[in-house]
Parts: sequence; C-alpha cells; structure tokens
Amino acid sequence: MPTVNIDGIPVEVEAEATIFDAAQKAGVWIPTLCHHPAVSNVAACRICMVELDRGDWRQLVTACNYPVRRDITVYVNSETAVKARQGVMELLLARAPESPELKELAARMGVKGTPYPTVTESQRNCILCGLCIRVCEEAIGQSAIGFAGRGVERVVATPFRLASEDCIACGACAAVCPVGTIQVRLHPESREVEISPFKSRAKLLVCAECGEKMVSEPVAGKVLEKVKLDWEEFRKRARLCPSCRRKRAAAALTQGSRNK
Amino acid sequence: MTTAVKLTNPQELEAYRAEVKARRGAIAHTVRVCIGTGCAAKGSRRIFELFQEAAADAGADVEITSKCVGCHGFCERGPIVVIEPGHIFYQRVEEPDVAEIFRETVLSGRVVERLLYVDPATSAVAQTEAAIPFYQAQQRIVLAANGLIDPRSIDDYLAIGGYAALAKALTMPPEEIISEVEKAGLRGRGGGGFPAARKWRSCRQAHGYPKYVICNGDEGDPGAFMDRSVMEGNPHSVLEGMIIGAYAIGSDQGYIYVRNEYPLAVEHLKIAIGQAREMGLLGDNILGTGFSFDLKITRGGGAFVCGESTALMASLEGKAGEPRAKYVHTVEHGLNDQPTNLNNVETWANVPAIINRGGDWFAGIGTQRSKGTKVFSLVGNVVNTGLVEVPMGITLRRIVEEIGGGVQGGKAFKAVQTGGPSGGCIPAEHLDTRVDFDELTGLGSMMGSGGMIVMDENTCMVHVAKYFLGFLQDESCGKCTPCREGISQMLSILDRITHGDGQDGDLDRLQVLADLLAGTALCALGKTAANPVLSTIRYFRGEYEEHIKEKRCPAKVCKGLFLYEVVADACKGCGICKKNCPVSAISGERKQAHLIDQAVCTKCGACLEKCPFTAIVKV
Repeated sequence: MPTVNIDGIPVEVEAEATIFDAAQKAGVWIPTLCHHPAVSNVAACRICMVELDRGDWRQLVTACNYPVRRDITVYVNSETAVKARQGVMELLLARAPESPELKELAARMGVKGTPYPTVTESQRNCILCGLCIRVCEEAIGQSAIGFAGRGVERVVATPFRLASEDCIACGACAAVCPVGTIQVRLHPESREVEISPFKSRAKLLVCAECGEKMVSEPVAGKVLEKVKLDWEEFRKRARLCPSCRRKRAAAALTQGSRNK
Repeated sequence: MTTAVKLTNPQELEAYRAEVKARRGAIAHTVRVCIGTGCAAKGSRRIFELFQEAAADAGADVEITSKCVGCHGFCERGPIVVIEPGHIFYQRVEEPDVAEIFRETVLSGRVVERLLYVDPATSAVAQTEAAIPFYQAQQRIVLAANGLIDPRSIDDYLAIGGYAALAKALTMPPEEIISEVEKAGLRGRGGGGFPAARKWRSCRQAHGYPKYVICNGDEGDPGAFMDRSVMEGNPHSVLEGMIIGAYAIGSDQGYIYVRNEYPLAVEHLKIAIGQAREMGLLGDNILGTGFSFDLKITRGGGAFVCGESTALMASLEGKAGEPRAKYVHTVEHGLNDQPTNLNNVETWANVPAIINRGGDWFAGIGTQRSKGTKVFSLVGNVVNTGLVEVPMGITLRRIVEEIGGGVQGGKAFKAVQTGGPSGGCIPAEHLDTRVDFDELTGLGSMMGSGGMIVMDENTCMVHVAKYFLGFLQDESCGKCTPCREGISQMLSILDRITHGDGQDGDLDRLQVLADLLAGTALCALGKTAANPVLSTIRYFRGEYEEHIKEKRCPAKVCKGLFLYEVVADACKGCGICKKNCPVSAISGERKQAHLIDQAVCTKCGACLEKCPFTAIVKV
C-alpha cells in the first residue's frame, strides 16, 4: 500500500485511492464543492487544489481525483496551495455572492469576499459544479438535467428549458447542491412538489388519514418498479404516513391486549 | 481514379511502383495547378479545367497531363501553376493567361516572362521555385511532395516513393521502429512538444486491448492552416505515418479527427483511405504480413477545445467535447478507456521520412532538443503570407525577413505572435531567437501548432491580447472554474483598459488571475490562456500604462483613446467627410478647411476612410 505524506502526516492508502481519501484518513481538511462520494469525480470546481511534490518542482493538482499509485508527498496548507484555493473561491463568490453555504466555506478558507464584479443575474447563484447533473444521472438514473451552453454561457438546464419529463421530483439534486440554489418547494394547495429552478412539478402522495405529504408519486412509482411491487396494492397498504401507521399499529395492539 | 491491384507482398508493391514510374516517364509535359485552399479561392479549379480543355484540343501527338496538386505554400502569389519540364513557376495566373501559357510554354517551350515571380527587393526574376527567396531558406520534409502530387492519386504518391517506409517498417521489429523515432528526436507538432517515441512506447507497454491510434486534425488556431494543407495536399503521408505507428504500438484501429470546417481534407482523406484499402496497404493483412489496421474519419463539431486530446477522445466517444484530468495518461486510459496514442497531423506525416531515411538523418536537422523541421503558417502584416517549412533552429528574423519578405508597406516590425491563441507576442529585440520548443517557451510564447502572425507598428498590443483572450473565452468549454470565470474576469479588465477606464493596479490584477489560471485550470487551454496577456505585458508594459494612465492608445487602435482631426493645410474643403459623417460632427464651408466637433464625434473613422486628400489624421 502506498504511503501519502500529507503536511508531514504519513498515511497508508489503497492503491488508486485519491489524495482526498488520504487527507481524510490523516485528518487534514481540504475544501470540496463538486466532489460527492455518491458520484464520479470530475474535478471541475478546482477548490481542492493541493501541491504535489515532484522532486525538483511542485505541481498543483486536484485532491479529489488524483490517484495515489506510489509513495507521494502532498502539501495541503503550503502558501501556494492555500493561495490557489482562495483564488478559485474568489471567482466562485462572484457567481454566488448570496449563498450562505458558500460564504461559510469561504470564511473557513480565510476568504473575506471577492474582488471581482458579480456575474450577470442570469448566471448567478449557480457555481456550475455539476453535482446535481451527476447525481441525477449516476445515482438516480434519470438524467433529467444537463449542461447547456459553453464557457461563460454554460448553465444547468432541463432539455429545451422546459419542465423535464424525466424528472421524478426526488430532490436528490437539491440535497447535493453545495450552494443551496436548487430547492424543493411544496405546494399544498395543488398537492404538488416542485424542484426549483427547473420548473419540474409532481403530484404528492398524501396520508389517507391525516393528509400529511409523504413523497412524490413518480418517486414512489420508481422505487416500486425496482422492488417489483404492484402499485395499486401498495396504495392500499401504504396509504398512511409513518406516524399514522404507527398510531394505527399501537391502537391495534391496545385493542388486542384489552380483548385478551 | 481506382486501381484494382491488390498488393499481397512488398515485392508486388515495388513492381507496381516501377510500372507507375515507367508510365509517368512517357509523359512529355505536365501542368500542375495548385488547388490548395488559397489558390482554389482565387479560382484555380477553373484554371485547371481550362488547361484540361486546352490539352484535349491540342490533340494526341504529344502526351500532356494536367493535374491538381496540393498547396505550394506561397499563397500570397496564388493561383500557382508549374509547368514541366523545366519546373517553370507561374504565379498569380488568371483565366486569360491559360491559353498563352499553353501555347508558349507547354507547346513551344518558351517562358511567359510576365507571369514569373519578381523579387520586390532585388527585382530579380525567378523562373523556378528554387530561385524564389520565399523557398530558399525553407527545408521541406512534410510539405516536400505537396506541390508535386495529385492528392487524389495513390499512383502519384507511389511514384515519389510512397508506402516504401511502410513496407520497410513491416520488416522491422516494432521496438526497433520506436527506437528509430526516438533517435530522430521527433517531438509532438501539435503544441506540447512531447517526445513521440516515449508516447508510443508507453502505449505499446500499456495493458489492454484494443489499442487505438488517433490523428488530431482539429486545427483551430486563428490563421493556422498547416495541418489542413497536409491533409488536403498529401493525405497518404498521414495514413502511412499512422499505419507505421499502429504497427509499432500494436493497434489495429485508428481514427482521424478532422475539424468540420475542412471538407476538402475529409474528401481527400476518404479517397486516400479507400485507395489504400483497395491496394492492401490498409485493412486486413497489410502487404501480406499478417498485420491488420483500419482507419475511420470523424468530423469535429466546431469546438476549438476538441483539439485537446482528452476532449477529442470524449468527442469521439459521442460525449460533449470536454477535457478531463490527465493524471492517468491517455496512453493507458484513453479512448473508450483503452490505451490510446494521439499525435497531430504533422507529427504523423514526419514518420515515413524518418523510417525511409533514418533517425540519424532527421536528428541532423534542427537544434539540440528540437529536431527536424516545423511548418508555420506565416500570416499578418508580412509581404509573403503563406505556408513555410523551416528547419528547427532558424531564427524568427530569417522567417519574417527572408522568407516573409519583411513587413508590408515598409512599416516597422512590432511583434510576431507564435503558438496560436495560447502563445505569446515576441518583440523585435528577440527576433534573433531560434525556432525551438524550449527557446520559444522561455520567451513566454510557445511553438504551438505553428501559427505565426506578424504585426506592424500600427498594432495595439493591448488590443491583440484582448482579441486572443476573447477567442479563448468563446472557446472555453466552461467545465472548470478558473478558465470559465478567470478568462472572463481578465477580459473585463482588458475591456475597460481599451476603453480608457483602466485603473491603477489593473496590471497586478491581470497578473494574479494569470497565475491562478496557469496553476489551477483543468486543461492546457485554460492553463495557457493568459499567455497573450502575460507576454504583451512583459514586452509592451509601457503601452498598457499609456492606456491606463494617459488614456491614450499609442497605436491609435482603441476607439476613444485617440481623436480624428482635420489637417487644415491639406483639406481642400470638398465636403466629402461632412457628407459621410453619420453624426454630423463635421462643419465647414466649401473650399475652406473643415473642422471636427470632438464632443459629437463617435470615432467611427468614416471621414478618414472617405477623405481623398488624406487630410484627416488620427492623433
């Protein structure tokens, strides 16, 4: 097993593990944005830059996808590495200046603000890390969203920017969004869930007893497809929310013990 | 043109070659018309047709062949027609000249003086290519056959010794071929300058099947057309290089990725592939040796970034053309995650010559660390624009002054830009630098794939930097933060500088962003994107400072940073400027000197353009 020396701390990792894995093992913090254990690494955000010792020179590499194949020495908190990460953060802050999540990460990295003018409104609040796209494709298997446009025109969008037919309103994209831009909104009046800003809406399954919202119907449908359960049968069995189901079970128990 | 012969061993190839040569020997006269893109744009295809008609009319008592050939490189002087025997080189040939050339030169052996090249510096008349200064300092390996052969004829290629290198290579152990390329010191011509042999060896040693070889023909630098001319003018040389490479590496499938804007290159490559397959030089059991290799052409979709190897491979896989990290090299995990060897068109085209004449011969040309020749497209404010192939180690001065004939219109030289949009501008004081991968990098520019733009004294270097950065902003894929956001932030700083709104500290801000890009961008496009800015700041800092501090553009290019004025003595009061001014900023009585109201003037320059007496100047 190769040894990675991270800021003076030696740790052994499996071959092909990443520098980020090694850093976690060593307890050295490296900021990440476009990295998530559930999906592949693309190293697009460049916030995890660290310095790799190449003998007579040092190279900035991304920790999240640099594979460890032999013994290496890495500097996470060298001046160059810190400066590189801060520089990237300053550029990102110009895109999402309002994001509390990004501001918190910036503060932890010692970045107070950005010297750059904020990008235009249509581009704002999304740092284009692409986690939402990868989670939708790789983890959920839906590919309801993707990148559109190139360069500064790049955006995350649904096909033709219409509500996507492939979106099941599961909310995984919102769950992984590191800047809190993707949101799950509930619309009780229409019994719908909306994934903002993609305009995707889906009917909500509600509890037959208390009316509590449970899950989007297409999500339930998708899950049941996987376990090969008949949808109608499920409707009968699982038409209650967990709390009502618990109450009913408890009631049945008390009923049973009284009858004894 | 189809040949039904299928060659099943090297002896048959040589026999067929002898037969073709014998047939050629019987032809008394040959007319070669360049149909390279430059000449074709000036109507050379029609000229070719006229020669054919003339030959048909002349009857059958003399055998006359007229053929279309590839780019000669001297595009400034196109259309170019060469007559054999005598290598008589006619330039700027127009349709009415055809009859005269045919009657005088082809039939009677007399030279048409007025169509020969006259050196503007010495007034010397050149009858052949060899006598023209543009060609004298050149050394042609890759472009050697371009003006001689019809790119659509495999017989033409065979007649000049084509596929002999392949036949020879197939008798060599693969490792020996790699050693020969190593001895030659061939470095990648696409920009990186990576040693080709090292790449080939790593790919040969990598585990996995299938292995792929790729030819990168996604040439996209502004003003560059080196690879285009090779693919269009001598497609078989690229094929032959690739087949040899595939044999050395152990690959049986290859791809040629050609940018979509090169339809003629695609057409000629397609014909060449078809011919090579038919003759048993490509496909199953090549020349009966048991080695099989086939090629496919893929057309790009118009993205500059697809010239980057990993983006090109993603594009070949049918994905969006975006680069990925190269921590694991493509020779191990490339196309379809398989070992893949990618080289540029010019690199492949050098291979047959290396195998034919040996690595030592190739290594004898050039400098210690840059061997062989390099093709450049010489463009911009230079007298002789065109395609040049020079030995490595030649000075930039010789390229610009001897081959290029100096700056157009007798103006002063300001800079030469090499390396494409990611390259840099080299000023006059470094003109004696030698063309060498490492020396150009040392100057803050690079060899790149071979674009060379000459700039005269009327060029604003801030404007140049802005132009290239704007190009890269348009071509950035947008995947990584520094390239997408950093270039656009740099551009907005340059934009305000060229509009007279530059601020103190802007140069430092540009430097910070440039360092960030170089250190943190994902691919070479982003890492080198700041080069045009850095090199112009390095050599023309004063010009930036004038823009920022004095709000003046010394080259008078940046609108708003100079004024248009009427020179009263020269003004005849004709009123043309007044009539053409779109904002009525000009006043004055007839036959009296006119005046421009600077408060109203929008600096469109219409007055200057229209004034018949050059009485309007930029100040």
